[in-house]
Amino acid sequence: MKSPSAELQPETEPGIATAEQGVVVLDGQDGLATTMTADAAARTGQSLIDAAAIARSQKPGSNDD
Amino acid sequence: MFTERFLRHKRGATLSTAERARLESGISEVRTYKARRLVARAGERLTESTLLIDGFMCRYLDDRAGLRQLVAIHVPGDFLDLHAYPLQTLDHDVATITGATAAIIPHSELDIIADAMPELTRKLWFSTLLDAAIHRAWLFRLGRLDAIARVAHFLCETNARLMSAGLSEGRRFALGLTQSDLAEVCGLTTVHVNRVVRQLREEGLCTFRSSLVEILDLERLTIRGQFNPAYLYIDDPADRLPSFTRPKS
Repeated sequence: MKSPSAELQPETEPGIATAEQGVVVLDGQDGLATTMTADAAARTGQSLIDAAAIARSQKPGSNDD
Repeated sequence: MFTERFLRHKRGATLSTAERARLESGISEVRTYKARRLVARAGERLTESTLLIDGFMCRYLDDRAGLRQLVAIHVPGDFLDLHAYPLQTLDHDVATITGATAAIIPHSELDIIADAMPELTRKLWFSTLLDAAIHRAWLFRLGRLDAIARVAHFLCETNARLMSAGLSEGRRFALGLTQSDLAEVCGLTTVHVNRVVRQLREEGLCTFRSSLVEILDLERLTIRGQFNPAYLYIDDPADRLPSFTRPKS
């Protein structure tokens, strides 16, 4: 068992998206590995940008729900 | 002899001559199967167990859309469904990947073995516990590893299992899987697997062509896949797995 500091934490490294055979492949840490159509990738990208903007305005560790 | 690969080179579980003879005498039938055929369906009541002699088979589950997740790959020497002896049914389907041959052992024979041969019974139990250890490794692979590491881990594992069964010399083996199968093992799309296979080749780790795997750098492939063969309970893995290097924790 590792120390509590080794528990899963939010990823600080960005995922890497690449275009392959007409679709978008997204790789990242913590087992992130997915494939999306171009449209789904574009909408996911916008959703990530929107969520990132909201996350920057939140206090770390707080739950505003 | 049909059972020669069963528990071959497994730590503390290799069959004695008498145990092997007893298991052989319990075989009621040898069946051959074509590739890509259903062998056992989830929920069916089973009265026999199946020992794979030749070829590759898989256990799998389908999601509601009918998409398949492979939850185990079986190599010669594996029992496909020994857990159905106490459970009586399977909670997954079993199918062939390649053409295959299997020995059938009725559960009534396993009853007799369980009554009369406790050491052989312990070894049959070992076999199902080895299945469970491999399932844990598959959970780790899907939960923690990125795409290239998932494929690297799976190829290292299969290489080690086939070496243990006497079917790989450690650098090259016939896998019998397509890239689509590999995708269903690793929870990836075929496009993603295709890219990963190309990366593995470009990084000089291994090639995967026409279902033939050639490992170019086992040590780096092992590290890339965070593969530690301890869960396979192979006798002296350092002797049997060339250039095995324990990944840094």
